[in-house]
Amino acid sequence: RSPNVSDPHCFVLPTLAPLVSCPLDVCYLCSPKDNVFGIEFTRFKIRDLDTGTILFEITKPPHGNVPCDKWPNESTAGRFVRYQFTPAFLRLRTVGATVEFSVGSKPVPAFRMIERHYFGDQLLKSFDFDFGFCIPNSRNSVEQVYEFPALSDSLVEEMIARPYLTRSDSFYFANGVLVMHNKAEYAYNGGQ
Amino acid sequence: MPTFYSSLVPFVVHRGPLLPNYISRRCMTSSPDNEGGHNFKPIFTILKKMKEKEREVRILMLGLDNAGKTTILKKFNGEDINTISPTLGFNIKTLEHQGLKMNIWDVGGQKSLRSYWRNYFESTDGLVWVVDSADCRRFEDCRQELAVLLQEEKLTGATLLVFANKQDLPGALRATDIREALNLDNIKMHHWCILECSAVTGNNLLEGIDWMLGDISSRLFTVE
Repeated sequence: RSPNVSDPHCFVLPTLAPLVSCPLDVCYLCSPKDNVFGIEFTRFKIRDLDTGTILFEITKPPHGNVPCDKWPNESTAGRFVRYQFTPAFLRLRTVGATVEFSVGSKPVPAFRMIERHYFGDQLLKSFDFDFGFCIPNSRNSVEQVYEFPALSDSLVEEMIARPYLTRSDSFYFANGVLVMHNKAEYAYNGGQ
Repeated sequence: MPTFYSSLVPFVVHRGPLLPNYISRRCMTSSPDNEGGHNFKPIFTILKKMKEKEREVRILMLGLDNAGKTTILKKFNGEDINTISPTLGFNIKTLEHQGLKMNIWDVGGQKSLRSYWRNYFESTDGLVWVVDSADCRRFEDCRQELAVLLQEEKLTGATLLVFANKQDLPGALRATDIREALNLDNIKMHHWCILECSAVTGNNLLEGIDWMLGDISSRLFTVE
């Protein structure tokens, strides 16, 4: 079925996503049912380009319902992940972030991702990337190589001291219609 | 077209390949004639690029299956190349090189995927055509697929880099042979260059990409 654009819950235009000024505590902006193209993320990897080391890799995000009292009425299955990194992570300079995803039996026209990273209500980084067309039954990968945002010492300390207050919202659009909304929370106190 | 754009037209039509000296020795190039005026991008594309503060180029990497496209991409990015499987979709890398933001699209080359290539032509500044130099049985197939691509309107004006890959293999043919087999001298509508390379050793990958970016920059970013 096509996304039901008369349902205000799922009708979110890409142009609105950058206007989201803080992490969306309240809700998901679409339902898992809106993923009509069967897009599934299969791998997530971060490497440090200065040393060539793979810092982090998961081959399949957890599919169980992560217990989360923030959204008691929402299914978080496959849509919410918590990551725990070490403090050294916040001192990286150049990183490559790879995602791999598979697509169902229908071609995806104009696939686009907008991702917003926050600490508290402060925006740290925003990505906006057009994948364009995705071939039916395909497996695809995207690596974004970028300079890690320079963070002040005090902000770094605070991010380490307050685990999971660093958060992200990822919005995925097909032909301008929101088909997926994923959330993640990050801690940087690992190994301590 | 609004009239105030027209003063830019002379700049846009002007093209000249600026080849670094080091590359002209190893690299066969062709300057297309400017007759007919087909070999430049639509003016709005160029105006858009000029407006952007960040210089961004889109590179599309194609070729028959098993030519080594993904291996080239990974080697160029300093990644492990030991565990590469056939691409059943695309691999995209976005990175900065020479002060440009590059988006490189590597799309699978299996026969069943080739009909989808056209979905990735839009806004392509540079086409990298990868050839398995040791697979001479498929040179004719390779020539035909490239010829079809070069007739595509959406690729008009895109810089063409042909990588004669797998030079590390003993049976690999030289660039001169591949230039002939692919009929490259007939190309009139694209700046092109063929370069011998090896994705396994990394030889000439950087040289090829640098030539391509130099050519694209001289076309797109000179009006500043």
